[in-house]
Amino acid sequence: MTGRHRLRSILTLAYMNGFVPIRRQPLYLIGLIASPLSFLFFIFVASNGTLLLYGISGGMLLTVLSIGTSLQADLAHYRHDLKLQDVVVASPVEAWVYVGGLALSELVYSIPGMAVFAVLWATSGTATVVSALTLLAVLLVVWAFASALGFTIATYFSDVRETFAFAPLVSIILSVLPPVYYPISRIPSAIRPLALLSPTTYAADLLHGAVGIAPGPTLTGSLVDWAVLLGVTGALFVVASAKARWREP
Amino acid sequence: MSEAIVAEKLGRIYGRPPGVPALVDVDLRIPQGGIYGLIGRNGAGKTTFVRIASTQLAPSSGAMQVLGYDVLTEESHIRERIACVPQESRPLYFLTVDELVFLHLTLRGLDRVDARRRTNQVLDELDLASVRHRLVSRLSGGQRRRAMVAMVLASDAELLYLDEPTTGLDPLARREVWRVLKRAQREKRTVLLTTHYLDEAEALSARLALLENGRLVVEGTPADLRARVRRPFRVRVGAGLTREELASYGEVSPVDGGFLVFGGERTSRDLATLALSKGVQVSMGPVSLEDIFLQLVGRSIEEDAPAEEGP
Repeated sequence: MTGRHRLRSILTLAYMNGFVPIRRQPLYLIGLIASPLSFLFFIFVASNGTLLLYGISGGMLLTVLSIGTSLQADLAHYRHDLKLQDVVVASPVEAWVYVGGLALSELVYSIPGMAVFAVLWATSGTATVVSALTLLAVLLVVWAFASALGFTIATYFSDVRETFAFAPLVSIILSVLPPVYYPISRIPSAIRPLALLSPTTYAADLLHGAVGIAPGPTLTGSLVDWAVLLGVTGALFVVASAKARWREP
Repeated sequence: MSEAIVAEKLGRIYGRPPGVPALVDVDLRIPQGGIYGLIGRNGAGKTTFVRIASTQLAPSSGAMQVLGYDVLTEESHIRERIACVPQESRPLYFLTVDELVFLHLTLRGLDRVDARRRTNQVLDELDLASVRHRLVSRLSGGQRRRAMVAMVLASDAELLYLDEPTTGLDPLARREVWRVLKRAQREKRTVLLTTHYLDEAEALSARLALLENGRLVVEGTPADLRARVRRPFRVRVGAGLTREELASYGEVSPVDGGFLVFGGERTSRDLATLALSKGVQVSMGPVSLEDIFLQLVGRSIEEDAPAEEGP
């Protein structure tokens, strides 16, 4: 397969698993943005609007992280129920192209939710070109991280229902324990080290700075955040390519 | 004659040692061109063989070459040239028939013009054009399987794997799929078909291999397989002759309204003559593949084999 063929395969998967189901059933979109918008509403009401920017950045992060959960469920469903993965393995399409295409399709689902959060952020008065680019870069890395994690987990389960049981656990580790919707200083010091084990903590720190929550991370803090986020994502890609089961061993 | 698949001492064990053997030292050469039938009971090892040959599963021992490439070290060359409809696979339910075929082709890297031409051609030829814009979730079982087969037939693959493509379909729907497969035969491509429907294997395959408990029992043309059995003829006699009278002519099995007797050509002719002389209804012919299976394996193909077909 040449580079052009691979790109065509990725775009086909994004169209097939993203645009087509959304066109046939637009209710998918409402279901997907319901959770982050509900959190935003709750945080806005509970804090009298003072934590609005946390709600916006947390909503963006949660929306992108949910791509990993959706990808994990789709991969497991397509592998076990429809045997689509077997069809793809026995074809010129490589594992990374298949996962990349499906991950892109999940990104399609998140576009409306991200647009809502982007508009809310733009109206908050803290958005600049630099902060928007930083935010985009962080979310792209989180997307890559969530996709690699979703793929690796999906290949280890022999039943779709097992992945459903595992998803809430991943969600707690990645989006509840880390300070996605609140400052890290609010976490009791006894369990704060646990939050530091989650890569989402570092992504949240960068996002908080990008959306204009003061004080933002220091330069050193930002470098540490980026190093951890990129390091964990890179390591996960290495693990995914080495351990994920494309061909059954 | 060049070979599409060569398996040498191929073995596969599932689970931790000692594990469950699904394939044991299988030596098999599948020629290029035409439909090759892999038959056996559920759990005999057919799917395991197909999954190894289509690079979905690694063998535990032995070697296999597909189109001249090693399945373990040269899988990318193989994947460029194969397409597969796995056992119990189902199409993406939210796609139309047209999208299913067209997007499968662009997924494999074909350009849109070529993919559109191939899609139109295959849907016309397989009588699916009238339902091309219907969601696959709204098709009958037979149409759905035909759509899956159309998907791989439309591809540019040289070697197609069809694992139990008609399981669960009614006889009419099965014949719809057969018609589609016969088209692949005309195209000189190689099709490896697994089935436990022996009439299907006999109707479609130029050559057959019979697996039982992960081992190759027999391989050859349907005529070769007939030559391997001790009793190549079957005589069906109606009421009027007793089991004791029939016993000397071969192996006797009771059936509705009479008996089936399996025997050699001479004894079968003698029995037919005897029945006619006594005015008993009689018919005679070569054994079916079902009968051959029963004689070689010792039990019906409808019984499940003990071996597991993998996780």
